[in-house]
Amino acid sequence: MPIMRHLILIGLLSAPMFPQSETLGIFTSSGDVGGPAIKGSTAFDAATGQYRMTGAGANIWGKQDQFQYAWREITGNFTVTATMRFLGQGNEHRKAGIMVRQTLDTDATYADVLIHGNGMPGLQWRSKSGDETNTFDPPFDGPGTFKIKLVRTGVKMYMFIGKDGAELKEIAHTEVSFQNPVLVGLAVCSHRADAADTVIFSDVSVEAQAPPMPKKQ
Amino acid sequence: MRELLLTGLFVATSFAETGKFGSFTDSNDVGAPPLKGSAEFTASTGQYKITGSGSDIWGKADQFHYIWREMSGNFSVTATVKFLTEGVAHRKAVLMLRKSLDTDSPFVHLAIHADGTPAIQFRNTKADNTNTVDFPMEGPGIWNLKLVRQGTTITVWIAKDGAPLRELGHTINQLGSPILLGLGVSSHTKEATSTVLFSDVSVEQLPTPAAKP
Repeated sequence: MPIMRHLILIGLLSAPMFPQSETLGIFTSSGDVGGPAIKGSTAFDAATGQYRMTGAGANIWGKQDQFQYAWREITGNFTVTATMRFLGQGNEHRKAGIMVRQTLDTDATYADVLIHGNGMPGLQWRSKSGDETNTFDPPFDGPGTFKIKLVRTGVKMYMFIGKDGAELKEIAHTEVSFQNPVLVGLAVCSHRADAADTVIFSDVSVEAQAPPMPKKQ
Repeated sequence: MRELLLTGLFVATSFAETGKFGSFTDSNDVGAPPLKGSAEFTASTGQYKITGSGSDIWGKADQFHYIWREMSGNFSVTATVKFLTEGVAHRKAVLMLRKSLDTDSPFVHLAIHADGTPAIQFRNTKADNTNTVDFPMEGPGIWNLKLVRQGTTITVWIAKDGAPLRELGHTINQLGSPILLGLGVSSHTKEATSTVLFSDVSVEQLPTPAAKP
């Protein structure tokens, strides 16, 4: 029994919130993926905890992606939440959200929970490097401020959405196989080569989950 | 303009439920499960009783019983689904679009698992892995399923135990035309069959939207 109690304690203690840095908060790096013609940027405001991200790029779709990404490395199971809204006008399919990505290559394996400019949520993924993107889009009723959450449990990637202050609701999950470690972060794409879009992300958290307890014999 | 709209309405035809398999033309096992399946159509009730075995419709190859017709273009399919026999929690009944009868053919389907987990699943290219979108489990019941294809967009609706149909969402799919459209049952085990009753089945061809000016 003492061994069991010890294991439980380790489980609780190993679900840390990552420390915030002055420059990029809970993330370690930012940059453009896929070389969009207009450069993007990420600015973290330590006083408000907000990330102001500007990104251009054709799309995150098909066989390759162009967007601005702020990320950190992570291993195992985790939960990421963020509240996001687009600033200004743009393409109705501009997109922003939470992305898990194998590498920074333009055609890397990824899974994301995102919101399009017109308010349509999407659960999208590329199962292997260089493959086509897959999508699932639930019904929607227009633009707003969205709370979004992505949970990784093994190969399962869960999407939760809450609009304009509503409680987060589980929508669906898909399955994508990544090698550990992965990159996890925030993504912004304008869905056009000749303009950038800006998104404010607030209340961003990245929480690593303990691996599942060994089953009782 | 009025003429175009009228044409649109008349093109939305339902297929006559005649012949041995009602709205469909053929029935067979896909992927050669060791236990043979069957499909039985009762013209007086419009019901299809489908018995299927097989490891799953999943991964790189499928085993299940299928009843189908050839279809092209845009269409709407509905069915009410009831599992008649006990079995594995993830035995599944599906509304399927399939490129061929090969065990590793591309497909997309709306599935209801016996434990009440709805899912949209698809294999994009021959012998590729299956992709899934699983929705929260609602528990066993009687399910109304609806799938509409408009171009490359596949939209699905579901309802449990007589509730109004609600849209789950849509995916994008490049299966093209023609495809084999039908109903499938897999027991999710090679050692048993599952029997599912499909009723109120409709297959409706939808007009191709006029090209944007």
